[in-house]
Amino acid sequence: MIYLDNAATSGRKPESVYRAVDRALRECSGNPGRSGHAVSLAAGKIVSDARLQCARLLGAADPSEISFGPNTTTALNTAIYGIAREGMHIITSALEHNSVSRPLEHLRKCGHTVTVLPASVDTGVDPDDVRRAIRKETGLIVMTHISNVTGTVNEIAAIGSIAREAGIPFLVDAAQSAGARSIDVQRDGIDMLAFPGHKSLLGPQGTGGLYVRTGLLPEPLTRGGTGSFSEFPEQPTRMPDRLESGTLNVPGLAGLAEGIHFILDTGVTEIHKNEDRLRTFLYEGLSAIPGIRLYTPSAGHDAGSVLSFTVSGMESAEVAMILDAAFDIAVRSGLHCAPYAHSMLGTIGSGGTVRVSPGYFNEMSDAEAFVEAIRTIVQENAS
Amino acid sequence: MIPERYSRQIRYAHIGEKGQEMLLASTVVIVGMGALGCVSANELVRAGVGHVRFIDRDLVELSNLQRQVLYTEADAAESLPKVFAAADHLRAVNSDVEIEPEFGDLNSGNIDALFRGADLIVDATDNLETRYLINEYCVEHSVPWVYGGAVGSEGMTAAFVPGGPCFCCFSGHPNASRQGSGRTCSSAGVLNTLTATVASLQVTEALKILTGSASVRKDLLYMELWDNDFYPIPLEKNPDCPVCVHHRYTYLGTASGTQAISVCGKNAYQILPSARRSPDFQALAERLSGLGEVKVKAYYLEFDSPSASFRLFKDGRAIINNADTEGRAKSVYSEYIGGL
Repeated sequence: MIYLDNAATSGRKPESVYRAVDRALRECSGNPGRSGHAVSLAAGKIVSDARLQCARLLGAADPSEISFGPNTTTALNTAIYGIAREGMHIITSALEHNSVSRPLEHLRKCGHTVTVLPASVDTGVDPDDVRRAIRKETGLIVMTHISNVTGTVNEIAAIGSIAREAGIPFLVDAAQSAGARSIDVQRDGIDMLAFPGHKSLLGPQGTGGLYVRTGLLPEPLTRGGTGSFSEFPEQPTRMPDRLESGTLNVPGLAGLAEGIHFILDTGVTEIHKNEDRLRTFLYEGLSAIPGIRLYTPSAGHDAGSVLSFTVSGMESAEVAMILDAAFDIAVRSGLHCAPYAHSMLGTIGSGGTVRVSPGYFNEMSDAEAFVEAIRTIVQENAS
Repeated sequence: MIPERYSRQIRYAHIGEKGQEMLLASTVVIVGMGALGCVSANELVRAGVGHVRFIDRDLVELSNLQRQVLYTEADAAESLPKVFAAADHLRAVNSDVEIEPEFGDLNSGNIDALFRGADLIVDATDNLETRYLINEYCVEHSVPWVYGGAVGSEGMTAAFVPGGPCFCCFSGHPNASRQGSGRTCSSAGVLNTLTATVASLQVTEALKILTGSASVRKDLLYMELWDNDFYPIPLEKNPDCPVCVHHRYTYLGTASGTQAISVCGKNAYQILPSARRSPDFQALAERLSGLGEVKVKAYYLEFDSPSASFRLFKDGRAIINNADTEGRAKSVYSEYIGGL
């Protein structure tokens, strides 16, 4: 099996991640932050370590700015609903995943106003458009760092500095960038950042988190079960307790901490370099096949390790199924939960796109086999 | 006081008043409301089985009317769910019977609810996987069931009662690789006299079981109506049967059945058969050729007709187009590709 669906979840994890999950379940099976006995403390230590590693990787000023949850979608919903105030104006882009666009559509129906900025596939949202869209009621700017459909990179730091200047909270969806790109929340002017544990951070599924800058205090989505401050009638204001209701996924966080250790040891730059080499090969290889249309930044533009394409005369779901059934290659097809991006690209009619996303553990031979498979499928389909 | 409407049945010595009372107090579940299901439901409701529940996931089409005796042209024109059309017609036949239509797919997740209170199950399905599931349920809960199958002019039926040999003793382990004849009623056609015969034989066994008769058929009856062949095949209990001896189930209480997964961005489902298989594209193309446009491509077989459109891949998976529900997608797979 050649796994090229790392934008959905990283298919392979470092050995240390598997071991950490197993060890946490066997040896640290207490409930963190509840009881004072040895295994509860051991579980608590795992959570603290995971928090510390996330803070190091993202450049957070304090580990308490990192709260954990089950996934990026929950983190984005927590941030968006936690900040929304009546009559608020929100700025976003056409590149967003529906974990952003659906909550915003819901808020719009509840009376908020939402501006969806257009984006170019090559360069993403124009930061000047963000500046121009700001109104006095604007209370939130939410942008994806890297599009999960095209790999388009938004200029997060430029948008962050505009948001900071205007005093508007800036939320970043780092689903495709955390662990694969250099991110420094302080340097980049990011107030909140939602991240998955199971993609480029190389942890298990069911882990994710939200960075919230000290000073911001979003309303929690769920209340109770914090373990701490049991005497309070209401949810505590202390972070991260405020946003962490219910028992955390300790084995998952143990794996996540090890995934980040691996990334910090390897270096984000090195990981990016490796993925970019594979992506560039795929881009060039697919560009040379007649009948393939690519939806991804063109040569010379920065791009994430994701690219989308369609095959002339074929449905995307069919191409993905042939890759799986006949070539043992795993990719994803469809709308990738980002319907507006497909409206923008005009790919709704073909059933979305085929998306290929190499990860750090892929070899150049995987990319070569992929391009060769697509070349064969295109030829066979034409004959 | 037993209604006059059953007088001819009561006069029949083996049923009598006592038998009729037993029927009136019984609950029968029919799985599948195609040709076999229509005939069974019609006979069971007229015979006065007090409570008849039937389950089907499909809609009435014009090509059903040749043999699915409960449906009308109007039902097909409206594409009514078979169970609702059947319920309407049968309520007009016998308003004393409680008729319960269930529209949807029978699977391990809902079988307990759909089979609740059943005294007997009538198999009128078109696929093996559902039969294995029914068999496992009936073994676990000691419920009798009557198997029936029909394609072309060839049919089979058998009654499986608690303690006796089960369907698995006869047909082998569900996980055993099987090529199957691949024949389905869509591709090979079927005689309406065959489906009526098989279903009537099934209902006869059902009536015997429900009235406590000792004359329940113990073997499997095979028939070939066109070439005049009828013979019994003995059923023997497999002393090592995974289902009725070891109670190790493949479908009951597991999620291992065929899956239908919505295809993102399309009105379509991907069907993943529970076991990998390798369909013979050329043979299937020949069988399907009269029914619509078939193309055999390097990696898949493409089929398009006004009533079904799909792409079948080499590992047996398929994308069923224009399917609004999982049930419809599974139904198209069973009907045109078969072997589920």
